[in-house]
Amino acid sequence: MPPLIQTISLLTAQVIVLLTVSPFLVGLIRKVKARLQCRRGASLFQPYADLAKLFRKQPVISTASSWIFTTTPYILFASTLSAGLLVPTFASQTPLNFAGNIIALVYLLALGTFFLILAGLDTGSAFGGMGSSREAIVASLTEPAMILSIFAIALTAGSTNLSTIVHKTALLEGIVTDPSPHLMALAALFIVALAETGRVPVDNPATHLELTMIHEAMVLEYSGRYLALVEWAASLKLAVFLSLIANVFAPWGIATTLAPASLGIGLAVYVVKIAGLAVLIGVIECMFAKLRLFRVTDLLGVAFILALLGLLFFYILRS
Amino acid sequence: MTDTRSCDETLKATFPSILQADVAQGAFSHFLVSKDVLPAITRHLHTQPSLRGRLALLWAVDNRPLRDSYGLHYLFTLEPSCRWVLLSTELMGNDRLFPSITPHIHAAKWYEREIRDLFGLIPQGHPDLRRLVRHEHWPTGTHPLKKDFSWDHVMGRQQGEQHFRRIEGEGVFEVPVGPIHAGIIESGHFRFSVAGEPIMQLELHHFWKHRGVEKLFEQHALTDAVPLAERVSGDTTVGHGLAYCQAVESLLHLDVPRRGRYLRSLFLELERLHNHLGDVGAICNDTAYALPHAHCSRMKEQILQLNDRLTGSRFLRGINRIGGVSMDLTERQLTEIVLELDRVEQDFAELESIITHNASLIDRLETTGVLTERTARDHGVVGVVGRASGLNQDIRRDRPFAAYDELPVTVVTYRYGDVRARMRVRLDEIHESMRLVREIRTKIPQGPIAVDPTHRPQAGEWALSAVEGWRGEILYMVMAGENGTIHRCKVRDPSFANWPAIQWAVLGNIIPDFPLINKSFSLSYAGNDL
Repeated sequence: MPPLIQTISLLTAQVIVLLTVSPFLVGLIRKVKARLQCRRGASLFQPYADLAKLFRKQPVISTASSWIFTTTPYILFASTLSAGLLVPTFASQTPLNFAGNIIALVYLLALGTFFLILAGLDTGSAFGGMGSSREAIVASLTEPAMILSIFAIALTAGSTNLSTIVHKTALLEGIVTDPSPHLMALAALFIVALAETGRVPVDNPATHLELTMIHEAMVLEYSGRYLALVEWAASLKLAVFLSLIANVFAPWGIATTLAPASLGIGLAVYVVKIAGLAVLIGVIECMFAKLRLFRVTDLLGVAFILALLGLLFFYILRS
Repeated sequence: MTDTRSCDETLKATFPSILQADVAQGAFSHFLVSKDVLPAITRHLHTQPSLRGRLALLWAVDNRPLRDSYGLHYLFTLEPSCRWVLLSTELMGNDRLFPSITPHIHAAKWYEREIRDLFGLIPQGHPDLRRLVRHEHWPTGTHPLKKDFSWDHVMGRQQGEQHFRRIEGEGVFEVPVGPIHAGIIESGHFRFSVAGEPIMQLELHHFWKHRGVEKLFEQHALTDAVPLAERVSGDTTVGHGLAYCQAVESLLHLDVPRRGRYLRSLFLELERLHNHLGDVGAICNDTAYALPHAHCSRMKEQILQLNDRLTGSRFLRGINRIGGVSMDLTERQLTEIVLELDRVEQDFAELESIITHNASLIDRLETTGVLTERTARDHGVVGVVGRASGLNQDIRRDRPFAAYDELPVTVVTYRYGDVRARMRVRLDEIHESMRLVREIRTKIPQGPIAVDPTHRPQAGEWALSAVEGWRGEILYMVMAGENGTIHRCKVRDPSFANWPAIQWAVLGNIIPDFPLINKSFSLSYAGNDL
């Protein structure tokens, strides 16, 4: 197969996988939470129905808002999806392998967050502003922790390219025997994932209390297809983080060649892995209360220190 | 009794101009005072260390057509003896001014503004004469509780804007919340002034649900208004129904049979149980800890379904009637209640240990929304909120009603006044209520459950009654009119006394903790707005 066609087909496949799997993850977390509370819970496929409903609804737009408000959902959705194409999911070769590395991933996600913060401010409602200021605190604290934790892994693999990192780890090439840097980085990245995707104990996606919201407060004014895009982008972000954690730290089972059998196994293993992580998030959400807003910085400080320790361990272990 | 007499004598010695009125009930001291000495005497009652009077209720009556005057009545509860002292004054003829006692007694603030709005009487020297119940769009001169205002009068609208106290400065923002919220919450407006996240000031703007309940009472006969009382605040059906019935029963000189009084206590405790269970769950849910919420909701539902099986109403509507209760329970039903509560208590004990041992939850609750004992006392805070701030008060013990004279109640108090203390009070009261229900089961006597009224009160006779509902002290003052009608019915839900205190409890807390603090107060909007 010529490389161009190969890239395009891989690209299409990954887009389809990400778009279809991400609402399922949200439904799965909700289901796990419901079952742990002895409730029956909504169907696993409810988020798909919600999206379909929202796309059909007419959006209501405040007359006080500018173009930022209406373009943000598209920018957010596109940037999150592009970030998803930089992360290996079922195959270790990512479609946009040539286009960017780990740093591009971090800043594509940051671009979406930035526009969402602007959109929160744009409508001029008190809650949007509060949500935006809180999101800015959280985002500025998660970013260094996220970069450092991935750097700790990148050092062991000798590359900042996610495909290379995953590929090498999957084939156990040039990997140090001591897993401490990995474990530290894993803990740090997991905390970052909880914070970035707005889960308990940082934010509560299920709340109706506008004064306590972070992510939900920014998107409070959205409706109709705009809301659908914002929600879909939020679930995509969750899928991106879970894929990142699953494949960087436990890539085994991922398709390292493009043979159909290998791809099939890779896809099945991938779905099982991220579903497992989603279940874990659901369990955590049932066990803990949300932190006080000003304690969130402590938690993200811990994530940063863990990631830093991971980096240090790499140098200590090497020498 | 000597204590009481000496208290009354001292009061008369200190203020020679006051007159002691004869009170048929004999349950409290009643003095007629002229309006000039009113501030001095109320101040004396409130600040004298041996009296420590709490302003429990302040109400006005339009005495027309009986007499051309307005009556003002100040009810104080003296803390050491739990006695009631009632001061009454009259504004004759065209006099529309009365002296404000708010400068000495914080608790009078909302009452006096309410009287100004509903009667058009002006409290002189009140520090804040903005409208309270009448929103700014009500036309000038609309005072619905005056007798010449017809109950079905359709009001016009006028332009107007509520002015809030403003804090200005760099980085200070105003955050308006409500009356329309992101979730299904009742209608109340909260105006925050914040510097970043910490709250510098909160101002409440309520009374969106004003339905004219007190005016509606005046359209009913004394014996017909129980359904209306039950709907003052839907979650306190038994509490309000019972308080109304007791007031009317003392007007009609009715003695409720013992079994009826035991059943009233039983239903009041069942109501306390389902509301406290719901609140404990809701407090946890507001910290995003959903597990206890799910289980508390389940247990609350178990009790609601029990209520339904017993009486045909999940919220115990129609249980109270003038003269007793409307339906009896069989032995089997009484046993069923105890068995069901045993099951609930077993689950609840397990959940309680999960809640109290969850460090992440306790961290959210401790030191959040502290209401100090001093502030609580100054604002005349009652009920669960008061007991969590160290105010040792419970009508069930202090002025026994229903069967509580034969059922001693252990009153739980905590000192810290934070959200955790308010939750602890509820947790302990759930156990206490279950114990009381079991005690009722063993002690309940046989016999009739109700008596029928025969007496008809004179126009102008009135009675007071107090009930410890699940939120706290519910007060009713019912005054009879001509031919068995109601001349005036003053309703005081505990929410009315407790709402202003929340403005102090949130100071210094951060905005995202406000919903949690508000939930731990768990006040009624409907009962407050009337």
